[in-house]
Amino acid sequence: MAGAEGFVEADNAEAIMIRIEHKTRKIESLLKQYKPVEALRTALEGTHAMTRDERCKSAHWIVVHRALMAIKDVDGMLSSLDSEYYDILMKYLYKGLSTGDRPTCEQCLRIHEKLTERAGFGCILRYLADTLNTV
Amino acid sequence: MAAISVHQFAPCITCHAWSPDKSMVAFCPNNNEVHIYKLFEDKWEKVHTLQKHDQIISGIDWSTRTNRIVTASQDRNSYVWNLEGSEWVPTLVILRLNRAALCVQWSPKENKFAVGSGAKTVCVCYYEQENNWWVSKLIRKRHDSSVTSVSWHPNNILLATTSTDGKCRVFSTLIKGVDSKESNGSTSSYSKFGELIIQLDLSLSWAFGVKWSPSGNTLAYVGHNSMIYFVDDVGPSPLAQNVACRDLPLRDVLFVSERMVIGVGFDCTPMVFAADDRGIWSFVRYLGEKKETSSGSKYGSQFSEAFGKFYGQSKHGMNNDSVESSKIRGGVHENCINCIMPLGECGTLIRRFSTSGLDGRVVIWDLEGQQDLLDYM
Repeated sequence: MAGAEGFVEADNAEAIMIRIEHKTRKIESLLKQYKPVEALRTALEGTHAMTRDERCKSAHWIVVHRALMAIKDVDGMLSSLDSEYYDILMKYLYKGLSTGDRPTCEQCLRIHEKLTERAGFGCILRYLADTLNTV
Repeated sequence: MAAISVHQFAPCITCHAWSPDKSMVAFCPNNNEVHIYKLFEDKWEKVHTLQKHDQIISGIDWSTRTNRIVTASQDRNSYVWNLEGSEWVPTLVILRLNRAALCVQWSPKENKFAVGSGAKTVCVCYYEQENNWWVSKLIRKRHDSSVTSVSWHPNNILLATTSTDGKCRVFSTLIKGVDSKESNGSTSSYSKFGELIIQLDLSLSWAFGVKWSPSGNTLAYVGHNSMIYFVDDVGPSPLAQNVACRDLPLRDVLFVSERMVIGVGFDCTPMVFAADDRGIWSFVRYLGEKKETSSGSKYGSQFSEAFGKFYGQSKHGMNNDSVESSKIRGGVHENCINCIMPLGECGTLIRRFSTSGLDGRVVIWDLEGQQDLLDYM
């Protein structure tokens, strides 16, 4: 994860917002087709291009949150999700836990337990240590 | 079982080093002394106590050819100990530091040693014959934070350092009069003392435990974010690989061959990393047991309690697997391993190494019985 790429200027932020809008539409259609795992994968993709812009971060979070709450089968989801997404998923789980909203926290906690089993403590460590690329 | 000998020397050990013939071990039992123990048949007995430092000794290195011990301490000093008769006689090395010394290592030719410190400097010390003392040259620039680990390249000139600013740097330590004696054509390419050859900014958090491979072509160091970094072709265009560790961060590494690295740290068991034919590094397995444990039994009793509380908040109940065994993986070390030293060598392959940790144990490991690993070497 390159920290230097995180610095986004205003016009880039607009481009990211547009991309997020596209993603939202794609995710809605995937969810309608009962493909929550693909929806989550789509939501998590591209957030690697980290941004410091708060609007982009919020928009990203809304999209990921939508996909996360739609997950019913956590084990199945984690089996089909590539391990490269584990670290970024962990970051969003902690973001969800920090919202304090009951349903979000329950879902995030449920996923956190399984993700830790799968990915190990290293995943949590990498979330804790990465103060540069925050979600 | 890869661990062939375990001995509890003290409640806690900060660092250790072996004598040239590997019959004696010197370590700091988390105080201002160095204890040297010798193995008599089956029992370890204390043969020397080196008392000179005022604070905890953070680094010890014992040179193999010249039989000198160098110690670095949090009291900002370093001593070089020479064996005269049956006594170890200390010589103070004025490092000119205003913060703790954190790590020390003899250079391959044993005519220099490097000390990393909390003063964001690295001291490279060499012996001045005329004045009969050790002179310290400081590399003051470049580091933004404490230097946690130093490692010498086989050519006796390049020095790699890691720091809590997350970066790994390689410096030239060419000293006129000490290094230029050799008519080695390549030394002229390292122009000045303290020149920064390369700076690697791969880790997002503290970096520890840097080591060079036996040929000096590859560097390995660890980040506190549970990552280990391998850098090939250290030079103008290095090839870096980030390998994520599954669990807790590592603290130190050791190259047992050109393509295999042992990492030790907070998981209390050595981890083996190896490079395949294409040069891609990956985690192989833990050394404490033959294969990966099932995810349930890895949680010790303390963890399972904490996780139980955490997950108990969710209406959907706890993960029952986590209340299983209370044994921490491996069981040989019970606390963080923070030091790994090579023991037996055949050519450039290291078959035996020792680890010491915060649990006060020194464990000797032998790779002889690990056939799957020997294939990598």
